Amino acid sequence: MARLKREDWYDIARDLDWTLKYVDDEAVFPEWMSGSGKVPREAWKKWDEPYKCSYPDYVATQREKETSVYSVKAALQRSAIFDTLDEGWKSTAKVHFGGTALIEYEAVLAEARMSRFGLSPAWRNMAVFGMLDEIRHTQIDLFFAHEFISKDPQYDWAQKAYHTNEWGVIAARGLFDGMMMNPNVVDVAIQLPFTFETGFTNLQFVALAADALGSGDINFANMISSIQTDEARHAQQGGPTLEILMQHDPKRAQWIIDKTFWLSARLFAILTGPSMDYYTPLEHRKQSYKEFMQEWIVAEYLRLIQDYGLKKPWYWDEFLAGLDTWHHSLHLGVWFWRPTVWWKPQAGVSKAEREWLQSKYPEWEKQWGPIWDTLIKNVNDGNMGGTLPETLPWLCNMCHLPIGTAASPNNLKFPVQSYPLTHNGYTYHFCSKPCRQIWWEDKDTMHQKTVIERLLTGEIQPPDVGGILAWMGLTPDVMGDDAYQYRWAAEYREPAVAVH
Amino acid sequence: MADPQPVPINAKFGNDFVTQLIVVLDIDTMNEVAAKVAHHVVGKRVPTREAGMVVSYRGRKLAAGITVAEAGIGPFQNVFVDWEEAEVTA
Repeated sequence: MARLKREDWYDIARDLDWTLKYVDDEAVFPEWMSGSGKVPREAWKKWDEPYKCSYPDYVATQREKETSVYSVKAALQRSAIFDTLDEGWKSTAKVHFGGTALIEYEAVLAEARMSRFGLSPAWRNMAVFGMLDEIRHTQIDLFFAHEFISKDPQYDWAQKAYHTNEWGVIAARGLFDGMMMNPNVVDVAIQLPFTFETGFTNLQFVALAADALGSGDINFANMISSIQTDEARHAQQGGPTLEILMQHDPKRAQWIIDKTFWLSARLFAILTGPSMDYYTPLEHRKQSYKEFMQEWIVAEYLRLIQDYGLKKPWYWDEFLAGLDTWHHSLHLGVWFWRPTVWWKPQAGVSKAEREWLQSKYPEWEKQWGPIWDTLIKNVNDGNMGGTLPETLPWLCNMCHLPIGTAASPNNLKFPVQSYPLTHNGYTYHFCSKPCRQIWWEDKDTMHQKTVIERLLTGEIQPPDVGGILAWMGLTPDVMGDDAYQYRWAAEYREPAVAVH
Repeated sequence: MADPQPVPINAKFGNDFVTQLIVVLDIDTMNEVAAKVAHHVVGKRVPTREAGMVVSYRGRKLAAGITVAEAGIGPFQNVFVDWEEAEVTA
């Protein structure tokens, strides 16, 4: 029997819907899940994905991708490449595995929610593919990391990280729960596929793939490039959803995009910024974090949202200024509080690296040089206690990153300070005005207790550094230390004076 | 007399890059508050100086001898500590 061509049946299949007889529409698509809001039910019939894909097409393409990625992995497994990789670069991979593997799984649930509660059958159909994509991403991250556990137990955090209360994990969980699990599916579509996957996954997958190749980590580059091909497809669920929302409730669309962009930018400043400007060996860096953000996020994303009739987010100037400071501050914080992370941060402040940083960020020495000089002196004096923490930085009630890391020292426009808010007799602290405003508007779906609050309410015992590390799940064999064992500091030692 | 009560504050020292959790006591003087905050910063991220320190709260500098309770500093409040005199640079 002759088979119909895809174009002859696709439009019927992709948009096939139930006619409900025995239950109300509201019972099947409750508002608190489907989130239509001011958009009339009929309007969702116009939902039209720009990327057409049938299930047989999907399976065939994915099979090819899987074959390709796992073939490369199998071939490289027999080589000694891993042993030759730079320790700083390995930290980039560890941050990625721990920070994203189970977030990919959370994205499975987000896609599953859209595939069930999306108000268009075409959308639900696309979300099924998205869900299958995210299952693949979870598996691939866990499997690739697992190979290295016998060589380095920090790779086990691909599996473990989101089962702990490590502070960076709490920050990421706060963002992604607010993006994928807590809101209705219209908000999910604008936050996850449109803002996060269209805007930010490029940063993690395209930029890092280039740095991975430069650093000789072909396996990692191959893996994340393969993941990105899926992201580029299922991210397209965002556009049609946004188009409909813009016709009926542009104010809501603008708010969802603005808040998600800000919080994603804050998190990527720690997830990707240090990797690009500090952990990747100097000779292998392709672009600075700021240059990449300007090319891929600032120019591309701004053009995209303006095409939909949206305005620049209200905090745009503050975000742009932050490209010069946030990730430097967060890197310094990660290095100083290094026992609290599951990787080995590469300080990245040798003389040559500082020259590079100063050339890319003209205020770098003025803002960060004096602090690093003090730390370097302690290293060279053998005063390691002077390079390690005895308390915690105060954490933002919205992004969960340290107060001060949306700013910098010697910065009159965005100085290091908290932006507090007293609500019902309780004082909350924020790293910035945008974080404070987002929390105030959306605290019902975004609020999680910070580590500081958990410490002060007795959840962490004993309430000291040892107790905090144990509570975060950091055992001595995995807690972070300097990637190069401080060798980079030696060139700052003053030459010994000859005695005659 | 009641036992001294811990007061967790959100403190910043001078030109440091973050604010930090510091637990002071309600009977601590501002000299003691400054020393407790400086302990986590000076000599670690800010160079040591032979200089006095001053505590500011709600935009005003506090006298060295008054206590946390007398200054009205409560839990979770922002407190700033800095050198008394700005560093002279060439």
